[in-house]
Amino acid sequence: MGKIVLVGRLAARDLRYHRAQAVLLLLAITAATAVLTLGLALHGVTSHPYQQTRAATRGPDVVAQIGGPAGGPHGPGRANESQIAAQVRALVRSPGVAGHSGPYPVASAVLRVRGVTAAVETEGRGQAPAAIEQPQVTAGSWVRPGGMVIERTFAEALHVGVGDRVTLNGRRFTVAGIAVTAASPPYPNLCYWPGGGCVLDIPSMPSPPSRIGLAWVTEPDARALASAAAAPLSYFLNLRLNDPAAARAFASAPGNTSQGPGSPSLIAWQDIAAADGLLVQDEQQVLAPGAWLAGLLAIASVAVLAGGRMAEHTRRIGLLKAVGGTPGLTAIVLLAENLLLALLAAGAGLAVGWLAAPLITSPGAGLVGTPGAPSLTPSIAGEVVAVALAVALAATLVPAIRAARTSTISALADAARPPRRRSALIALSARLPVPLLLGLRLVARRPRRALLGAASIAVTVTGIVAVLAFHATVDLRISGAARGLDNPVIDRDVQMLQILTVVLVTLAVLNAVFAAWATALDARRVSALARAFGASPRQLSAGISAAQVIPALPGALLGVPLGIGLFAAANHAGIVTVPPASWLAAAVLGTLLAVAVLVNIPARIGARSPVSEILSADTA
Amino acid sequence: MTGTGKGSVLRARGLRREYGKGEALVRAVDGVSLDVAAGETVAVMGPSGCGKSTLLHLLGGLDRPTGGEVRLAGQSLGRLGERGLARLRRDAVGFVFQAFHLMDELTAVENVELPALLAGGSPRAARRRAAGLLEQVGLADRARFLPTALSGGQRQRVAIARALVSDPLVVLADEPTGNLDSESTLEVLRLFESLHTAGQTLVIVTHDSRIAATADRLIGMRDGAFADETRLTGGTSGSLGALAGLEG
Amino acid sequence: MQQEVVLALLAKEPSHGYELRARLRQALGPLGEAMNDGQVYVTLTRLEKAGLVASEQAAGLPDRQDRKVYALTAAGQERVAGWLAEVSWPKPDLAEFHLKLIAAAAAGLADPLAIVDAQRRELLRRLRDAQRAAMAEPDRSAAGLLLEGIVLRLQADLRWLEACERNWTVRRSTS
Repeated sequence: MGKIVLVGRLAARDLRYHRAQAVLLLLAITAATAVLTLGLALHGVTSHPYQQTRAATRGPDVVAQIGGPAGGPHGPGRANESQIAAQVRALVRSPGVAGHSGPYPVASAVLRVRGVTAAVETEGRGQAPAAIEQPQVTAGSWVRPGGMVIERTFAEALHVGVGDRVTLNGRRFTVAGIAVTAASPPYPNLCYWPGGGCVLDIPSMPSPPSRIGLAWVTEPDARALASAAAAPLSYFLNLRLNDPAAARAFASAPGNTSQGPGSPSLIAWQDIAAADGLLVQDEQQVLAPGAWLAGLLAIASVAVLAGGRMAEHTRRIGLLKAVGGTPGLTAIVLLAENLLLALLAAGAGLAVGWLAAPLITSPGAGLVGTPGAPSLTPSIAGEVVAVALAVALAATLVPAIRAARTSTISALADAARPPRRRSALIALSARLPVPLLLGLRLVARRPRRALLGAASIAVTVTGIVAVLAFHATVDLRISGAARGLDNPVIDRDVQMLQILTVVLVTLAVLNAVFAAWATALDARRVSALARAFGASPRQLSAGISAAQVIPALPGALLGVPLGIGLFAAANHAGIVTVPPASWLAAAVLGTLLAVAVLVNIPARIGARSPVSEILSADTA
Repeated sequence: MTGTGKGSVLRARGLRREYGKGEALVRAVDGVSLDVAAGETVAVMGPSGCGKSTLLHLLGGLDRPTGGEVRLAGQSLGRLGERGLARLRRDAVGFVFQAFHLMDELTAVENVELPALLAGGSPRAARRRAAGLLEQVGLADRARFLPTALSGGQRQRVAIARALVSDPLVVLADEPTGNLDSESTLEVLRLFESLHTAGQTLVIVTHDSRIAATADRLIGMRDGAFADETRLTGGTSGSLGALAGLEG
Repeated sequence: MQQEVVLALLAKEPSHGYELRARLRQALGPLGEAMNDGQVYVTLTRLEKAGLVASEQAAGLPDRQDRKVYALTAAGQERVAGWLAEVSWPKPDLAEFHLKLIAAAAAGLADPLAIVDAQRRELLRRLRDAQRAAMAEPDRSAAGLLLEGIVLRLQADLRWLEACERNWTVRRSTS
């Protein structure tokens, strides 16, 4: 019992004595766990929202698209009404079919609003809710004569809301509401049918439009639209199966997809889900490398801070050993401290991740799915806590092993690893102005920390350049696309990247501050000595800043090719546009400038610590 | 406790340095006045905790006094900002510490030339001067040695050379032989004597009476204030032989 | 001059008086200045009377002391051997000073602290002189070693005087 009290007391005292260090380490691990939480939350998001929508809208297991454009992919010629009715009857009576809704007429229409033109598949519906496949209204109300309901992603891309006035095929409509559905992939993946295309047949559009949206109107309105455009109607039929899992087999069964005019094309709900997931997959393609970068930065921060305390911990372990503590006891004290910090950090990181997750995990507006609680499952929490504990363990084991290996005396005398000597750098620095002289010598003393600093800047610039490459490539891509219509895929990607950039930059900032603080601490004696011999505090803080910027330069330069390579690797689609040189230069210079500014503050603080204290208290 | 007053290189009036407040108030230096003439060696002796080191830090501008004034070469330290103080420390003052405070990763000559480099001098000139000083202190053959390869006395001699590199007006030494054995103390002693002969102004804080005996003036300090002063120049009564047990 | 020292110097070989004098001077270095020339001869005469030393006139020279050759007798050799084996150490004369302070304080004749201060100053001056002399000697000279001993002794005495000062200050404030 006494031992536990002792351990607790030693751990608490040490943390309180080194408050600033403890807080910084806490921040670093929190950043790492927050990033981890966000990454895990997004990873687990794919299929759930679609399931939610399917449940909310009583979604179909198979959707049949009957009738088709002349010369379209469904065979030669158009079906007439009786042929279509026969198809419907055949499908409804197929073995395994438990129920159906529809057939609903679908008209191809041209929508115009505020100078934007788009193609729309307009489905005619009754005002009463259907038993199978009833789209869920998320804003406004359901269809009425003259009132249309637009699919949510499409509405966002058009920037229209409830109450707006639009024209369909020249007729005036009011937007009565916004809805989501599970029976069709959301805009812009509407025409993703395996082996299928869209029902669209719009003679007035000069070429097949690349972006087609979905909307609902009343049945009479739909028929009126079709006759106004003198175009034939198609039909959607929604089927429910006895065995939903067999939907794919049903959709591809030869008896159901006979060739011939107006033969139906069937799509199973799993394929709709996959098409829906494309939106998220794209995001994940962006997110995964970004998460790796963020993870590397977070690890670098923790390494710098834990390494900064390493020497002191080795010495403390030696001290406790010298007064009779067993090596085990001393390691346990250290472990207690690190565990406390790690658990606190894990909690804070989970909280941050939980609060920030909704920003990035709402998976395409086209589905009902507002993650809040679901994104943070107990398993995610468990993984994050496990990682934090692993960090605590690693931060304990290294000094403990080192202290166990060295004799007590040398552990006590160990101020730190003694500084390295680099004659070439020392000779070179003598020729430079004073701040660079100090900075270069500080770098030469701790080459490993300089390397770590360079690596973290490289990671940051890699991320920034990858984002720039994305912008350069994407800008080219969509310049040929429909003007005026937002592409939600690109939008989400951009948003994703913005968030990622913010995360990366935050971590890089933390990293730079940590490294500067660690350098200032290590350089206390050097600083005091330099000041005793005439270096002014400004020269000294410039020197400490320089010690961070000097390794940052090669790191930043390295980040440019790495960033382009990263984007090329992530963008399987192939074309990569190298961002213009001015952007790249701005990225590199901006990063270096930011480093110089950020480290100024801890450098200044380090340069003003009282000289006489350090020089008189210190021995050897 | 004043000397000649005129022509003094270093002058202090009513120096005070206090720490803490109220009941926890500690007066490390309590009303010290001092005049050091050019070429003079002044030793300050006293028990540990009497404030000698604090006084030295105040005289050299390493610390700011709570009250009183220090004038170095006619310039009042209180009026100078941090940059001015730094410049002063660069050009007018050289420090020698008990713990030597040499940079472990620099050779002896690199250690000595450091203040000159910090002053912005040309590297070649700094190196030349450093080598010359090392020769003066008798360590020319150890110029390229790292401090870890030097004995305590040799390290302190390197530190003294470093203090001299900018040709300072006054050298302030804080317990220079505190960490040395008697053999090394002798080395440093010889060096101080030769500096004294060469006309260097020295203020030495020490509790070693041998070092104090090299001084022209010896000031005793107690509880932050000067207690007495002894002039050590002039003949002694009684011959050395009597001290050795020889009958005169 | 201790008699045994002169005896020991004769142990190597019989010598003239002036040779002994020269050797002493050399061993003592600057301190040899303090030595009275006549001392050596006085000591030699006493030793001869005590039978520890025998003298011989150098052949053909008038009877002058500085021309005599002195040599150890058997008794003298014994005495030397015994002296070399002795381990007594020169006594410091602390008791006298200590009593001086007490007497002064008791009789109100003088302030003990003033006495201590004056003595300190004197010793410091002597320390300075001894140190200067020691450093003027070439490295590892015998005389230099002697001077080093004096210096160290003075240092020790100074430390004791500092303790006296602290002690008597307290006494004064509590009396």
